[in-house]
Amino acid sequence: MKELSYKIEDFTFNETKKAINTSKLHVFYGELEAIKDVSITILENTITAFIGPSGCGKSTLLKTFNRMNDLVECCKITGVVEVGGVNIYKNIDVSTLRKNVGMVFQKPNPFQMSIYDNVAYGPRTHGIKKKSVLDSIVFDALNRAAMWNEVKDRLTKSAMSLSGGQQQRLCIARALAVKPKILLMDEPTSALDPISTGHIEDLCKELRKQFTIVIVTHNMQQAARISDKTAFFLLGDMLEYGNTKDIFSSPKNEKCERYITGKFG
Amino acid sequence: MRDKIAKYIFFSCAIFSIFAIFGILFYLCNTSIPAFREIGIFNLLFGTVWAPDKEFLAPSDKFGLLPMILSSLCVSFGALLVGGLGGVFTAVFLVRFAPKRIKAPLTAAINFLSGIPSIMFGFFGMVVVVKLLSIISPSGSGYGMLACIIILSMMILPTVTSISKNAIEAVPEEFYLGALALGATKEQAMFRVEIPAAKSGITAALLLGIGRAVGETMAIIMVAGNRAIMPTGLFSNIRTLTINMVMEMAYATDLHKQALIATGVVLMVFIILLNLLVSFYRRDRSHIKKTLFKRRMRSISFHPYDIDIDTPRRQGQLETILKYLAMVFCIMSLTSLVIIVVFIFIKGMGHISLDLLFGVSGNAGMTLRPAFISTIMLISLALTLALPIGIGAAIYLVEYSKRQNKIIKLVRLATEVLSGVPSIVFGLFGMIFFCEILGFGYSLLAGGLTLALTILPTIIRATEESLLAVKNSLREGSYALGARKAQTIFKVIIPVSIPGIITAIILSIGRMVGESAALIFTSGAVAYTPSFYDQPGSSFAVMMWMFSNEGLYINAAYATAAVLMIIVIVINISIAVLDSKLKKRRSQ
Ligand SMILES: Nc1ncnc2c1ncn2[C@@H]1O[C@H](COP(=O)(O)OP(=O)(O)OP(=O)(O)O)[C@@H](O)[C@H]1O
Ligand SMILES: [Mg+2]
Repeated sequence: MKELSYKIEDFTFNETKKAINTSKLHVFYGELEAIKDVSITILENTITAFIGPSGCGKSTLLKTFNRMNDLVECCKITGVVEVGGVNIYKNIDVSTLRKNVGMVFQKPNPFQMSIYDNVAYGPRTHGIKKKSVLDSIVFDALNRAAMWNEVKDRLTKSAMSLSGGQQQRLCIARALAVKPKILLMDEPTSALDPISTGHIEDLCKELRKQFTIVIVTHNMQQAARISDKTAFFLLGDMLEYGNTKDIFSSPKNEKCERYITGKFG
Repeated sequence: MRDKIAKYIFFSCAIFSIFAIFGILFYLCNTSIPAFREIGIFNLLFGTVWAPDKEFLAPSDKFGLLPMILSSLCVSFGALLVGGLGGVFTAVFLVRFAPKRIKAPLTAAINFLSGIPSIMFGFFGMVVVVKLLSIISPSGSGYGMLACIIILSMMILPTVTSISKNAIEAVPEEFYLGALALGATKEQAMFRVEIPAAKSGITAALLLGIGRAVGETMAIIMVAGNRAIMPTGLFSNIRTLTINMVMEMAYATDLHKQALIATGVVLMVFIILLNLLVSFYRRDRSHIKKTLFKRRMRSISFHPYDIDIDTPRRQGQLETILKYLAMVFCIMSLTSLVIIVVFIFIKGMGHISLDLLFGVSGNAGMTLRPAFISTIMLISLALTLALPIGIGAAIYLVEYSKRQNKIIKLVRLATEVLSGVPSIVFGLFGMIFFCEILGFGYSLLAGGLTLALTILPTIIRATEESLLAVKNSLREGSYALGARKAQTIFKVIIPVSIPGIITAIILSIGRMVGESAALIFTSGAVAYTPSFYDQPGSSFAVMMWMFSNEGLYINAAYATAAVLMIIVIVINISIAVLDSKLKKRRSQ
């Protein structure tokens, strides 16, 4: 597969080994403080899981990494968020940032276009027009998302005709097609059955070799199975962050322990 | 960069409505200032004599609008009593009491009723209602106030029905269930809990109904009798503000003409006041549905407890009567629909001939050929102009609007007012601005431009609705890939909302095919076939008016009505088909 280059300037990742770094991050929705003073460093080529009860701010934190929060009018941010060593809340091109930091949502959200066009949407957006180049990107992305064989004969069919699990993998392929360095996943399997969930978990493990993945999940087994690092949040505070093995075998924080063992909702 | 340009383009589309409203107001006022000055506002508004031809009278004595103002008010309130209440009851019946199976066809029938052009109602009134009324009329003539009220009632009923239906359906199901759980009957739940909860929406519906009645022109010009005298009773000949303009505009000059335009100003002021009231009542039906829900919950969650739990069954008698009333109204509106359609088909089908449809038309013998050509030319011009502007405005309203933004609010208000502006006022504006100031004369160009204004609000609203229905997750998905706003709008959002835009197109075609009042003084009322946009030409509805006006061509008028009816039916069916397809796709 030939290497594809984009015209826009990519972020540099290799020097720091820190994919994402926040310090003293606060996020507000109007009066409500959804993230309180979170400083976290996410390393390259790891899978980091965010866990915690509903409403604790996992999605909010995730969305600060690619500035999807910008879409929320009342959202205000203080502190520093660095991606690949660049402060992303200082004069940067949001479009380039989001190309580098892909995102997969809780509910599959394929566009009402063909499967091919869905995957090609991102590259086209970033100015790639040549059919042969697009073809190879689409192949590569679908291949990585482990669904090339399933859909290779129906690339021109509407994406809406896929099953929920397939749609979600298509969304992952779509995110991969712009060659991000980081992939943010917000409960990517919560709307799926166990088999599709398994597919996607395998996929994550596979992707870890090239990408940095941050995944929000409510499924403790899933976090334990696939992640290297785990962060536990409660009401906007990050109470514990460390190696997944350590957290699941001997959590330091009492609330974290109770949450992991299911005694705490 | 491209994003910025796109934003400015959409923004200019959005503020177009504001310019349109102010333009209309400005030019109407500006042209009629001499009338207000020479006649005096008081004399104009409260003078009881309208006799422009009496040269020996001073201007201050012969241009009194009071008979017209009173006539307009009387017929509107009459229509409100019959058609407005009827509409609310029909809505009630449709929401709760109609059997499931007939609900959809009934709703479709009511929508269909609202799609029938004014001219058709007028014609029906002239050949049926007036004849019937003449039997019981003391003077032996059926023309006058009562005939107007009947026709207007039929016309505003569907408007009131569909808006109140939406208002009642917007009441959370919990209220209904909550009332039932307290032992209330279905009827009590409806009339004691749901209707009070939907009060503001229903009020808005009634106000809009009045607005439609006040502004109606062509439907009542054929049944009112049209004499400019003070109304005295149900069978008194009347002349409303709108009729006054159409009757005399063709030959009026100087002060007379200015006085007629002043009539339009009076009408416009009335419509704007009504619309401000409507937007006041609709405030809480804003686009932020969640706050709406919460506010409703808070404001009426106590209502269920007001019901006397001990004796609900016996107390329910009144409500049961109301329920039957609702059923009666529903049946009446349905019957009127069936009667109109069947009558026009029976009378008209036989007279449709190839010669009438496509024969050469001129002053010697009128055919429908010019109508086909003019209508198509008018519609294509109006759509080419209004569609991009309307879609752009809708995009700005939905995609760029920040809550509480003053301009957005103003645009919404302007669009609402614009949609309430009576056709005849558009016609006046078109005549003043396009024909006279811009010098286009009576021409299809002026007519098409005027039509573009009349359909703009329809297009904005329908497009806005379909954009609002696009799931936010699609927008997020696109932005997350690094796409910019303009790209997201053009590549992801618009393709999804195409069916809604098509609905908007069909709706506005429906409106234009039936349009007459806005065209008579802009594209003219002539019998011959236009060859280009600089020439006058009559649309279908105008042609039908000419046929029925002359008396000689009554069979041709029936035939035209039948052709027009077929077009309206086709349009309605395609909207219904599109709608059901859309619903299916959304529920997937
Ligand atoms: N757009 C928004 N506007 C206002 N408040 C918001 C918005 N999005 C989230 N919040 C609030 O911020 C807090 C954190 O929300 P967030 O969605 O980050 O939680 P979460 O941990 O992802 O929860 P879940 O597990 O349910 O997805 C919540 O209290 C929520 O109500
Ligand atoms: Mg979440």
